[in-house]
Amino acid sequence: MNEPTRVWMRPPWGCGEPKEVEATPEILSPLMTAGWSQCEPPATEEEVTTNVHD
Amino acid sequence: MSTTRLQEVLVCFGKKKQADIATAQVAADMWRFSKLNAALANPKLATENDAEEYGKGHEFPTATFKTAWDVGATLEKYLSAEIGAWAVAFALGKVVKSGAGPYVYTCTPLMPAAGDAAELPYLSYVEQIRPGAGVVLDRQAVGMAVEGFQITVGSGPGRANSKISVELVGSGKVIDTATGITMPAATTEKLLPSASLTLSINGVDYVTNKNIVSLETGWKNNIRMDAGFFPGSGFQTPGDGSTGAIRGRLEFGNRVGNLKFVARFMNGSDEYTKLKAQTTGTAVVTLAYDANNSLQLTWQQVTYSVVEIAETDQILTVAVECLPMYHVTNGILTAVGKTVVDAICS
Repeated sequence: MNEPTRVWMRPPWGCGEPKEVEATPEILSPLMTAGWSQCEPPATEEEVTTNVHD
Repeated sequence: MSTTRLQEVLVCFGKKKQADIATAQVAADMWRFSKLNAALANPKLATENDAEEYGKGHEFPTATFKTAWDVGATLEKYLSAEIGAWAVAFALGKVVKSGAGPYVYTCTPLMPAAGDAAELPYLSYVEQIRPGAGVVLDRQAVGMAVEGFQITVGSGPGRANSKISVELVGSGKVIDTATGITMPAATTEKLLPSASLTLSINGVDYVTNKNIVSLETGWKNNIRMDAGFFPGSGFQTPGDGSTGAIRGRLEFGNRVGNLKFVARFMNGSDEYTKLKAQTTGTAVVTLAYDANNSLQLTWQQVTYSVVEIAETDQILTVAVECLPMYHVTNGILTAVGKTVVDAICS
């Protein structure tokens, strides 16, 4: 196997925050068995500042 | 008219999964393979008649009724990284893809108790003979699911010593003429030969010991076929009750894995001791073409259920049947398919 890459996983039942883990069978097996599923990386939210000079 | 020889049959099926059980796949989402078995995916129409109904004045049938459709297929192939990754992904149902080429598909069984679906991913299965102006056969079974797979690894020099058999069952929905599918180019496969095997079972490395003779391992979903026909499951032609019912779902039943092997029986062989002690451990089966193409099955906890001293070609051997068990943390089976092919079961 090549060096492991990382994947994003979301918790079962849609509860909780996604987390990024190493994509090795040793790490993925317990998560997948417990209901975690692969998901897209969370969108990075840019801070929106109201322009008070308008 | 020229005779049609079965070697002409072309088969392609979903590399990706269908959007849902009733939505047929397009060619771009499918891939084409050769196969070893001659059996075709013949649709079966169940019919009834009115012979036993009263009020006709006689006991003979006067009318028939199309009641339901069924279709199934079996793929027998030399084991390759491509078909191996595809089989474990569609048979187990839960897939995590990693890497950017080669791609690693880590697959585990769906766990409804943990919020997973009870339906496996669906795919279309297409058979064609002489597509085009001289078409002999052109049909597409829609809403197929993998009922199970069986991998066999044996001793000997030929490709037949590493094979996979995949059984598919279907919703019954069939496009039986003019599918519109242009058969994709044949998939180039990376074979996973018997000589590449690495095998560790219950703490013993059977390849390093040069003891392994053969092994067989697989998975069966026991899909609840009758439960697919529920009120409202649909018809072959949507909205036309005279065309026969089709299944609206394919849910797995009580799933079961299997692993058995034959090894040379040597001084110090401890299979019988482990049977009596009901010792548990992992079983890891790995076959590889190269660093970018492989298949690894890890049974997270097995114990021996049958151990028999026997002979193979007049050499003393031990035949062992394992009982795959559920490990409290790691589950029952983790299958890792590695291939340069992207988007399997996506």
